[in-house]
Amino acid sequence: MSEEEITYETEMTADDVGATEHVPETVTQKSLTADCLRLIQRPGWLWWVVFLFDLAILAVAMVAERNQIVQGIGVAGHTRPVMWASYVTNFVFWVGIAHCGTLVSAILFLFRSHFRRAVYRVAEAMTVFGVMTAGLFPIIHLGRPWFAYWLFPYPHQRQLWPNFRSPLEWDVFAVSTYLTVSTIFFLVGIIPDAAAQRDHGANRFYRLIGHIFSFGWTGANHQWKHFYGAYLYFAAFATPLVLSVHSVVSWDFAMAQVPGWHSTIFAPYFVAGAIFSGVALVINLLIPIRSVFKLEHIVTVDHIEKLSKLVLLTSMIVTYSYLVEIFSAWYGPSSNERDMFMWRFFGHFWWAGWTMATCNSLIPLLLWSKKVRRNLPLLFVICLFVNVGMWFERFVIIVSSLARPFDPAPWGVNYKMSWTEGAILAGSFAWFFMFFLIFIRVLPAFSLAEIKETLRAPMRRKA
Amino acid sequence: MIQKLVDRLLAPAPQKHAGVMGIFEYVDDAAAAVRALRQVGHKDLSVYSPVPHHDLEHALEQGPSLVRWVTFGGATLGLTGGFSLCIYSVISYPLVVGGKELISLPPFVVIGYESMILLGALANLMGMLALARLPQVKSKAPYDPRFSLDKIGIWVPCTGDDAARVEKMLRGQGAEEVKVHV
Repeated sequence: MSEEEITYETEMTADDVGATEHVPETVTQKSLTADCLRLIQRPGWLWWVVFLFDLAILAVAMVAERNQIVQGIGVAGHTRPVMWASYVTNFVFWVGIAHCGTLVSAILFLFRSHFRRAVYRVAEAMTVFGVMTAGLFPIIHLGRPWFAYWLFPYPHQRQLWPNFRSPLEWDVFAVSTYLTVSTIFFLVGIIPDAAAQRDHGANRFYRLIGHIFSFGWTGANHQWKHFYGAYLYFAAFATPLVLSVHSVVSWDFAMAQVPGWHSTIFAPYFVAGAIFSGVALVINLLIPIRSVFKLEHIVTVDHIEKLSKLVLLTSMIVTYSYLVEIFSAWYGPSSNERDMFMWRFFGHFWWAGWTMATCNSLIPLLLWSKKVRRNLPLLFVICLFVNVGMWFERFVIIVSSLARPFDPAPWGVNYKMSWTEGAILAGSFAWFFMFFLIFIRVLPAFSLAEIKETLRAPMRRKA
Repeated sequence: MIQKLVDRLLAPAPQKHAGVMGIFEYVDDAAAAVRALRQVGHKDLSVYSPVPHHDLEHALEQGPSLVRWVTFGGATLGLTGGFSLCIYSVISYPLVVGGKELISLPPFVVIGYESMILLGALANLMGMLALARLPQVKSKAPYDPRFSLDKIGIWVPCTGDDAARVEKMLRGQGAEEVKVHV
């Protein structure tokens, strides 16, 4: 092609660089990089206040845990027959929280749902830190936590192996696989953005962090080819994984013949509940981040509204599951099952049952209104209620079923949460937020490369 | 001491590259340049960009990544390994309960399935890192930080008269900057 054949336009127009799909037209590749790196470089005094407060809560929880290790598991409020209580509730809650990240990053990736690009990094970080929090609870719940490694299969002199037929052993495999795969997925996605941080970070510390996490990425064509070749398979693995992990968690209960647990609906019901609480927490995280760091043009109200529609959808699925459970109990042959569901809503733990139903089924109904979905302060409060409701859902399932076994002898003995358990519950939030706060301080919390793909590619000649 | 270490880690690799680097603003210009260069026999090109572009992929005639075969191998190993572990464990320490079969496959499906995903994902990671030559300590072309911002770079390894021809060609295709490295 000779030089004469090319017609040059002197300047790039707004159309050439502007976005069409989900990012405002004013955003350019340069401004996007600057905005996202600013989030890392200038956390401000508010970040320090929140971080120190978070560490203070974590310190209290560590004292409580130390107390439990020294004095024994008896300092928790477990009383026969309720030997699984707040710790297992917390475990299921945090595994559930962790599910949203993979939904947003993997499932929506496979469906080519482009709105995920602006929000998936936050959701993925939440997944990794959520599983790291969840994984602590089975260990905290052990009488001798220093023997936690017994859960894993390893060859030893006595040739003893874990019982692979037990749902608890399935859990070990499911949760450890989920932690590994979601961490890899998260770190691989960060590679091109860490390269941008390495090249354009404000000081040497941030550039060094970028160096480490970018693995020497240059953006060469062969790197992009294998990166996206692998990314597709990460998404393809993560999608069935996310569905299997919470199904396996639900089988911890459903495999046991305990009234209120022994149900085939548990797997889909738990998966929907997990996504429900996870998306709600993503909204709870994104709303303050976009507002504090002035990123309203990157995470737009449209993005948040789309996430809130997911909350509404999963709320409907969860509500349907509640109704199916109640219907099955009423219609089915087991009087114990019927009695259990009456007891859940009118027995000793009635307040927990109604908190669950109100927060998970009634309050999210407000999201049918577009005005509510686009009203961010109100949406923030609704999502907080959803998370409270989902914690109580797990509490109701675990504690109320255990407190009402077939044998009526221990019926009057009910569980009461101890201060140790309360401190460790608060500490789990502090543990999760500690990682999250450090993450937004050191690595890009929004995917530069993927949001740049949303922008229209600069072309000299318009198609 | 720490500062010295940081400085060393951040120091750019010494320049020992011979060739021409063209820096482009527009994707279609870069794609046209790639096509033109490949037409005259420069097949050993490297294109650097902040995001992947289909135009460039087509111009480079890149096939699909081979990483999928590595992933398939890992997943197959995980699936068979998961089932084998369960079967081996019940045979090596037999505990017959109620006269039931020792090798009860349905509960082992969960272990096999999770192991398949775990090893498949790990193989996928290893495959990607190996094929994309990561971690990369030494770049095969002079890297420019603008490639992670908003510019596209085309690196053509060449020397002498060839370099002069490539330089002219890149400028003719709309490169906003061309650097010759000798």
